[in-house]
Amino acid sequence: MSVLPWLVAAWLFAIGVYGIVTSRNFIHLIGCLSVCQSSTYVLLLSIGYRWGGVVPVFYDQPVGTPAVDPVVQALVLTDIVVGATIAALLLAMVIQVGRKDDTLDPQRLRPLVREGRR
Amino acid sequence: MRPRLVIAALGGLGLLPAIWKIALAMPAFGEPTGAYGPVVNRLGPPLRHVSNMVGAVNFDFRGLDTLGEELMLVAAVTGTVLLLRGIRGEDLSARPATAGLPVVKRAESTILVSRLLGPLVLLFGFYMAMHGMTTPGGGFQGGVALASGLLLLYVGDGYRAWRTLMRSPLLAAVEGGGALLFALAGFLPMVDGKAYMENVLPLGNIRDVFSGGLMLVENGGVALAVAGGFAMLFLEFLEETRAIDGEDRG
Repeated sequence: MSVLPWLVAAWLFAIGVYGIVTSRNFIHLIGCLSVCQSSTYVLLLSIGYRWGGVVPVFYDQPVGTPAVDPVVQALVLTDIVVGATIAALLLAMVIQVGRKDDTLDPQRLRPLVREGRR
Repeated sequence: MRPRLVIAALGGLGLLPAIWKIALAMPAFGEPTGAYGPVVNRLGPPLRHVSNMVGAVNFDFRGLDTLGEELMLVAAVTGTVLLLRGIRGEDLSARPATAGLPVVKRAESTILVSRLLGPLVLLFGFYMAMHGMTTPGGGFQGGVALASGLLLLYVGDGYRAWRTLMRSPLLAAVEGGGALLFALAGFLPMVDGKAYMENVLPLGNIRDVFSGGLMLVENGGVALAVAGGFAMLFLEFLEETRAIDGEDRG
């Protein structure tokens, strides 16, 4: 039982990697990368979880109530926001690749050539 | 594709024992061993007069790390904007297009729901950003909610209405200004000879909206940067739907 969260994180990462390896489309590949990234959320939140712990917000509960770890939650929070912008950056690159090579298949990606500028 | 899959499978098989060993060696689930979190939970409220410990970690105890994340966000948005705008040309992005791809006619119910929900989502975003120090929320979440509220304007009223409101210089100023506010807020204590980001402003009372001192400024900076950054991303991607070459230059 105690191993389950760590295995779930590893499984999520693994299916993300499988998707990246077999991907035939860059947009699909970025989706798979997001799945890989989700495994870090599972891992981090599982590390900080405490049985019976409350949220680390002491608005209507006294200080000293056992609460889950706020540090990993802060990490996940910034992770999600930065992850979303990184996905946008990658998608912008995909648009560039699609314009240049007229394909979104990683297999058919050609190396950059100097005179190939639009 | 085949050899690639074989290599990946071999690599995965090789890693399997290591993953299993690490999974067994991890601390028991539900009984964290780290001391940092519990210490923050116990000392955070009396020391910083805020009730949301996630916010306190983000903007005070590990504020410098958040500044790093903030700069990563700005860098990613800048890169996206550069890549997308680089093809179209700067002058083309600065003003709304006169022609675009044919727009699907929106159902009246879509327009109604978007117009009703848009202001509500914006209000909720403000609420979330402002209450970051007391209840769950904060600049990151509030900023994303604000940007989504702005995007509802596009869903409801279409590209033209969205573009007349969203000007890229304004969004750039909001985004960069927010990040700058965060970075500069850290220098404020140094005027007084204190350490970077030391919380020198009056802390206020716990459970008060305006509690947390310097954290409030940093939180506001993050809310601006995130909202501006995401709105900027939406704008640049929506620009991709406009007519690409020639027709709308005149």
